[in-house]
This record gives sequence, C-alpha cells and structure tokens, in this order.
Amino acid sequence: MEFKELDPILHAPLRLAVISLLLSVKEAEFTFIKEKTNSTAGNLSVQISKLKEAGYIEVTKQFKDNYPLTICKITPKGVDAFENYVKALQSYMHPNS
Amino acid sequence: MEETFSKEESLALISKMINAAKKEQKDNGIGWIIWGWLLVATSLLTVLDIHYKWFQLGFFWNVFGGIILLYMLFAIIRSLFFKKIEKVKTYTQDLLSKLNAGFFISLMFIIISMNVSNYLLYEKYAVYDVIPINTGFALLINLYAFWILIYGTALNFRPSVIGAYCTWAVGFTALFMKTFEQVMLLHALAVVVGYIIPGHIANHQFKKLHKKGNSTDGV
Repeated sequence: MEFKELDPILHAPLRLAVISLLLSVKEAEFTFIKEKTNSTAGNLSVQISKLKEAGYIEVTKQFKDNYPLTICKITPKGVDAFENYVKALQSYMHPNS
Repeated sequence: MEETFSKEESLALISKMINAAKKEQKDNGIGWIIWGWLLVATSLLTVLDIHYKWFQLGFFWNVFGGIILLYMLFAIIRSLFFKKIEKVKTYTQDLLSKLNAGFFISLMFIIISMNVSNYLLYEKYAVYDVIPINTGFALLINLYAFWILIYGTALNFRPSVIGAYCTWAVGFTALFMKTFEQVMLLHALAVVVGYIIPGHIANHQFKKLHKKGNSTDGV
C-alpha cells in the first residue's frame, strides 16, 4: 500500500481551516474567517498570503464606505488540492481500502 | 517553526470548519413568520369582511398589496443606498435570492391574471364572478408550496419540505371550493402549515444553534 504525501501547504491547522471554510461558501471576508478560525489578524494574513501564492485562493481587496475589505475565494486549483489532501488522509486512515 | 498536527486532528478540523460554514446557511425563519402572519391576518379579515360587510370585497387584499409595495420600495432603497457589508456569501444565498425574485414575479403574474380575467369576464358577459379569483388564490397556494419546497430543500429543512406537500394538498382542495370565504379559510390554513409552523421551528432551531455554536467556533 502506497501512502500519498500530504500537501505541506494544507497540512497546517490555520491554512487547512481557511480552505475548509472557503470550500463551503462562495466567498468570505477576512473578518469572517478570523472570527470562525479564532485566529489573530497577523497570523491569518500570513497564512492567507501562503494560500494565495500557492494559487489555492483568490484575494480581492476593496473599499466599502471607507472600510477596507479583503475578500477570499477558493480557486479550482484549491478545490483539487483539498480533494487530494482528503484522499491522502483517507489512505493513511484506511490503508486497506 | 510551523505548527503541524495529526491526521485525525486534520479530519476533525475539516469537519468543524464545514459545520461552521453550514451555520451561515440557516434561515432564522423571521421572514416566513412575518409574511405568514400578514397573509393569515388578511385572509381572516377578508372572511370577517364578507360577514360584516365593512368594506368592498378585496379591501384588505389591497391594504396587503400596499404594505408589500411599500416594503419593496424600502428594500430597493436600502439595497441601493444603505447596503450592509456582507461578511460571507454562500451559493445557497445566491440560489434563494433568485428564487425569491422568481417567486415575486410569479406572484404578480397570478394577481394580474386574476384581475384581468375578472375584467374580461365583466366586459364580455357583464357578469362579476368570484371563479377567477378563487382559482387565482388556489394557484397562489400552489406557488407558495413550490417556493417552500425549494427553500426547504436548499436549506435541508425537513419541516418546510413536509409543509410544502401539505400546502399543495390544501391548494388542491381550494380549487373545488365554491365560495370566496371557503377559499380564504383554506388560504389561511395553507399559510399556517407552509410558512408559520416551519418558520417558528426554524427560528427555534436557529436560536439554539447560534447559542450553542458561539463556543465551538475556532481552530
């Protein structure tokens, strides 16, 4: 039985939380992700940048009533990476299946 | 050094985040309750009006129409000038907003067709009859049932799915009624089973979920 390697971009708690959250919604604002993941703004910014660099999410910055908004959205590449990550996890959890 | 975690923790985290996102897709049921009670009140006031002849037949429906038009005007102004910042957008919200638009267009279509048929009947035969109005209300109940079924399915909310089939049964019965009073009573019943009961159940579940959920968010 060959074990698939876990994607290092996704195999980190906060990045995996962000991707799992974005997978279930169309798009989400930074403060929503921060609230749901219970993370700090600084740490979340760093992890979002890493996900963006990997091409797993799209980040759009805009202003609404003088408030800056950072909107995040999962990309098709991010969806594929997440699916592969879950398959790899399953191969570890159920090696005979 | 970056924090890592076990495979079991990964799966637990994925499940937790998906559940956190699912919470955003719940409806608090307030809209169904307000809409439902407005329709029930209008139907029952119309029944009382038929008995006591306070006003012309249809007076309370005109008042109801006025309230809805005012609300629509308010909603348009709010969406144009006072749009709230949405922290999250879901595919379900997208589907439901299109469904609502389709519902209101179909609602207007049926209401206009009821009035046009009535007018043409009067023009051609110089008679006024409640048949087009009764049939129109049965069709409106049918439209409510369709909306409730899609809404309930999209939100995976079983009481609405059951409510939709009950509403259809009441709407089908309304097709065979001879008096406007009977149709109004069935209309009120359809709204109670389709909107009000599921609306209160949704509201209760929403409150429970958000009370419980506040402590479970987070990685």
